[in-house]
Amino acid sequence: MNVYHGTWLPPSNADFNNNGQFVFWIETPTHNKRKNKTIKHPNHLSNLLKLDTFLSSDLALTNALINKLNPEIIGCYATLPSADNRPLPSSEMANYLGDYPPDDYHWQNWSMTVISMAQPLLFLRELSFIASFNNPKFRLGADLLFWIRYAQQLRQLVRQHQFIPVMKCHQPARKAARLKIYTGWSPAGKHYEEGLQAFASALPSICTMISDTKSKSMKISQPKAIDSIDLLRHFSEQIVEALVIKTPITKQILKKLKDNWLTNALGYDESDNPTLPNDATGLSTEDWKQWHRWQKEITGQAQHIGFSLGVRLQPLDTKKETQWQLNFYVESSKDPSLKIDLAEWWLLSATQQKQWQKNLGEQFERNLLMNMGHAARMCPLLWQGMESTHPASLIVDLNTAYEFLKNDASVLEAAGFKIIVPSWWTPKGRKRARIRVKASGKSAPSQEKDTGTGYFALPSLVQYQYELSVGGETVTEKEWQELINAKSSLVQFRGEWMELDGGQMSQLLELWQQQEQNSEELSVSDLLKQVAEADEDSIEYVFDEVLTDVLSRLQQQEKIKPQNDPEGLQGELREYQKQGLAWLTAQEALGLNPCLADDMGLGKTIQIIALLLHEREQDKQSKKTSLLPTLLIAPTSVIGNWQKEMGKFAPQLSSLIHHGIKRAKKTAELTEAMAGHDVLITSFSIARRDNKLLKEQNWQRIVVDEAQNIKNPKSAQAKAIYALKAPHRIAMTGTPIENRLMDMWSLFHFLNPGYLGTALQFKRGYETPIQRDNDVHRSRQLKRLVHPFILRRLKTDKSIIDDLPDKVEQKVYCNLTKEQASLYQAVVDDVQEQLEEADGIQRKGLILSTLMKLKQICNHPAQFLQDGSDFSEMRSHKLARVNEMINVALEDGDSLLIFTQFTEIGTQLETLLREKHACPIHYLHGGTSRKKREQMIEGFQNPDSDAGIFILSLKAGGVGITLTQANHVFHFDRWWNPAVENQATDRAYRIGQEKKVFAHKMVTLGTLEERIDQMLEDKQSLADNIVGTDENWLTEMDNAAFQQLIQLNRTTIMEA
Amino acid sequence: MAKITRTWWGESFLDVLSISMDEGRLKRGRAYSSPNRLLKFDINQRSIKATLRGNINHYFGVYKEPRYKAEVKLTTFSAKQWDNIIAEITHNAACLSQLLMNEMPASIEDVFAKQNLHLLPERSTDLISHCSCPDYADPCKHVAGVYYKVASLLDRDPFLLFQLRGMDVNKLQEKLALSPLGKALIDRWNDGEQPIEYHLHRYSAPQPCPLKPSTIQQFWQGKSVLPEVENSMDSPATTAVLIKKAGDYPLFWQRDNSFIEIMEIIYPRIVDKNKLAL
Repeated sequence: MNVYHGTWLPPSNADFNNNGQFVFWIETPTHNKRKNKTIKHPNHLSNLLKLDTFLSSDLALTNALINKLNPEIIGCYATLPSADNRPLPSSEMANYLGDYPPDDYHWQNWSMTVISMAQPLLFLRELSFIASFNNPKFRLGADLLFWIRYAQQLRQLVRQHQFIPVMKCHQPARKAARLKIYTGWSPAGKHYEEGLQAFASALPSICTMISDTKSKSMKISQPKAIDSIDLLRHFSEQIVEALVIKTPITKQILKKLKDNWLTNALGYDESDNPTLPNDATGLSTEDWKQWHRWQKEITGQAQHIGFSLGVRLQPLDTKKETQWQLNFYVESSKDPSLKIDLAEWWLLSATQQKQWQKNLGEQFERNLLMNMGHAARMCPLLWQGMESTHPASLIVDLNTAYEFLKNDASVLEAAGFKIIVPSWWTPKGRKRARIRVKASGKSAPSQEKDTGTGYFALPSLVQYQYELSVGGETVTEKEWQELINAKSSLVQFRGEWMELDGGQMSQLLELWQQQEQNSEELSVSDLLKQVAEADEDSIEYVFDEVLTDVLSRLQQQEKIKPQNDPEGLQGELREYQKQGLAWLTAQEALGLNPCLADDMGLGKTIQIIALLLHEREQDKQSKKTSLLPTLLIAPTSVIGNWQKEMGKFAPQLSSLIHHGIKRAKKTAELTEAMAGHDVLITSFSIARRDNKLLKEQNWQRIVVDEAQNIKNPKSAQAKAIYALKAPHRIAMTGTPIENRLMDMWSLFHFLNPGYLGTALQFKRGYETPIQRDNDVHRSRQLKRLVHPFILRRLKTDKSIIDDLPDKVEQKVYCNLTKEQASLYQAVVDDVQEQLEEADGIQRKGLILSTLMKLKQICNHPAQFLQDGSDFSEMRSHKLARVNEMINVALEDGDSLLIFTQFTEIGTQLETLLREKHACPIHYLHGGTSRKKREQMIEGFQNPDSDAGIFILSLKAGGVGITLTQANHVFHFDRWWNPAVENQATDRAYRIGQEKKVFAHKMVTLGTLEERIDQMLEDKQSLADNIVGTDENWLTEMDNAAFQQLIQLNRTTIMEA
Repeated sequence: MAKITRTWWGESFLDVLSISMDEGRLKRGRAYSSPNRLLKFDINQRSIKATLRGNINHYFGVYKEPRYKAEVKLTTFSAKQWDNIIAEITHNAACLSQLLMNEMPASIEDVFAKQNLHLLPERSTDLISHCSCPDYADPCKHVAGVYYKVASLLDRDPFLLFQLRGMDVNKLQEKLALSPLGKALIDRWNDGEQPIEYHLHRYSAPQPCPLKPSTIQQFWQGKSVLPEVENSMDSPATTAVLIKKAGDYPLFWQRDNSFIEIMEIIYPRIVDKNKLAL
């Protein structure tokens, strides 16, 4: 894994033209071989050939784009914290390498080879887009993330026209040289200045430590940086100016600028030919003074004034609303809750005014006069209100008030003035003339509330009726027509003010006349889509009682009434799980296909099991024909867990696993095998391989667990799953799916095909605007669209916290692979013979070593074989499952602990996880030095560091330390004493822990792990006097009992 | 040819010339406002004295390039009238605000109308002039040249007109000092001239400073959380919003068409043509 870095590099020795450049460099983990004491930074990509093709090969940028970026490989120097004659790795790289910062370091100057980019805004946007796909090969450093964000800020400033033409006086150093006045552009104004302050304090120092000049000596005692705000200004000024100069300006526009210096500022010469801005402006210091005074009016005051000027529009007389009043008021910048109308201000005594001025800043009157003048310049109407000694307000007529609302208010607001308008004008209170779509739920034979649930029976279809409505009230066509004919756009209708657009109303009338003809019927999901995408200005929706009820259940998920535990459930649902069950049943009744996306550990599985039971309960009541089976698709590593949990919570549900060589191959075989079963469980790979077979079966529903497995819509796996059809579909996932939009599209394509449009439409309509351009409107609309379908409760939600114990313990069951099973069987067979002959210490030793061997096999074949073979997920479902769960936890931003009693496993896990994740990873074992151990704990517990993984050997890390930063604890293998395990779990669950702690204990099915777990569960056999802190108590068993304990249950073997 | 003046009051000032003299003289007079003709130009309280370079003119018997001395004035108002006017101005925040921004208040003539006066000259009798040239006409083109110059100065300094009309600046200041808003205007006069700022470089050059002490983590990651940026693709509520604050026809804009109007075209164009980077 490489870490990408970059920053803006201003020149250190330059004449007047001090162009900087954006430089990009690649930090590598490998320590290049170092010959002698060169000053070349040893851990960065400096190979010219590789750098040359880097943008096209590693970043996969198109040639067209690369041409625009005009990359150039250059050298520069960085002063970095260093030790042992090496630069220390960046935080990101240190996380990856597992390096800890040394106690002692010094500063050293290193030479680096970097790529310089011509268009940083373009480059940074592409880079952030590429990085949003989480490529494991690289990670962006905090420096680049900073510049990506600042580039967004700068783009926003340009889009909002927050820049002005500037003049710059330059006196060349040469004696008697003529003063030169240059022209250009610069961002300016309040937003720019505030942004500079905020960003400068977040700028990583590394960005200020790179230079184009070598320092005098390699070692540096007092490192020099450059000023952060200056750096941002330099970047902003150059980039904005470059954008303006590169903008082609038409002859027609240039004609209107003729002989003015703006022509030069825009990059054109006197004959309108493009040129670089130069000093041939013919400007004098007098011109500069004029410009300077002008720019001071725009920018000079923003920082120093202690108040904002505001204008409030209100009716003069509440009864007779033909006359309106515009009132001036001032608001303290220090404390915006302090407001005073100027009308009141002038009445205050001098002492009172003095008192107020503490909050309004110095030179209040002058600034007030200036501000009022500026406001009146933008809205000349206001001059009228100022023709007195004590300006306070002005009275306007209806049409003027309307003009003010329509145009001036937003202009003044954009210019930084405060505006208060009547509530009926605000987006929230605005009344509109719209087509009203009256939707009513159709289906329920009796429109009465269910006495048990308090809900209406759920409709599957929605009927539409169209009406004309003004301000939320139905009006007749005649009234509508009258309003169209009204003279003023601002009308009072049935006692309420509103703005009407006659043109739009005529169009709506036509639309209404067409729609009135045909009344449609739609599905609930069509309704949700239409409502989410509707143009609020022209359409409003009203719902009948049934639909209101439905929509509130879908949209206000936290308020949904819980469904009681279904009949036959062994165990109790928690309150939020009961809500989940109610939500799932409602979704299915509405013909919607939901995604259950609760956080890992909240018990998604049990909610699905409850749904199956509930369905059977309902079915029994309605005496319908028997239910079709449910098809459950899950990763191979989870299949065993599903079966085990079903057996535990709903023994009456019968499930069949469709996996392995012996599975049914023909339709007839499968139908026969399925008879009497409620659920068929299969893996993703078999769902793909046996797609045809599964397609031919009729299913009640398809449930996809760990649905992130179908996130790539182009994969054969996802395509195979889309192809399966059933009346109901459910997706389950613990990863936040809203983060990567194309993944979410894929999920919806399985659940509700067409709801989010085609992949291409979705990409254009949502993914690109949101993910690349950060478009907030689009993002909100998408949220409205998907929200009703996704139930995602977080373990940090207040209501969930109240429902959960502080420590949630959960067993995670997985199967043995075929390879593990044969090794396991061999050991069992072998020990059987030896046991007959052994006794005493020898027997004890044999038992303990057997237990050890079997546990190793349950972990991973490579651990047992110790042959250096591949530590792959393919060979151990347990490892695969732990990895999947770690992924989910990290995606949620959670830190986690992994306990194991085997150092081999710890070491191999560390290596494997480092390859997969760029997060901080620590491994504490018996051989860890005390100092390192402290660094690890400190690093992990640091609230500023990223979520990370802490691997601990049970013996070295099981007691004494506090790791409350973690809220997931994995027990990779079991210790036969619950007290020891609990003590380990309590590393995370102890004083200082503010979150819930989830302990996941891995149990291999059909092996001694499952049996011992059962014994520990069964408290009767767990008399404390039998169980010591170690495994010696197991040696007390007789041969038969021991053989029973370790015996392999062959039905639980699962091929990968 | 560009206009001499771009403000409404400057223009209005020139209007009176066009009714006071024939078109030929007026047109030629304009040339006399340029520095190569207007050799000396002094404003002394209410009167302006100028020396101009004339033309050799055999018809008038001028054989050597002549120098003419011209003096121009406006009719002035009485101290009593000014007292009333100043009282009006100091009680009008709109007037004060515009004067503060160096503009002639839009409603200034309303103030003068109350005294049955008008600030800007309206009739030829409002102008008083004298020139040493042999031209029989009064005003002559040399006088016109001086008035043109005055008009161009008015753009930047509307107070000049008050001065020429006989206002006592001290009296104005005295009156202004009585009201809080009036004081604000006095403050501004005391601001003085802005010194010229010199740039060593085109863009703000980052100054070296010692590296602030921090942990290694902070060195790489920064000390505070990145600020959020709310991005919307919407165009701004109003185009060219920043520059609109400072009003149209800034002093550096000596063209006749509106500065704001052309900027309202340029700003959206810059955004539009840079879509790829924005």
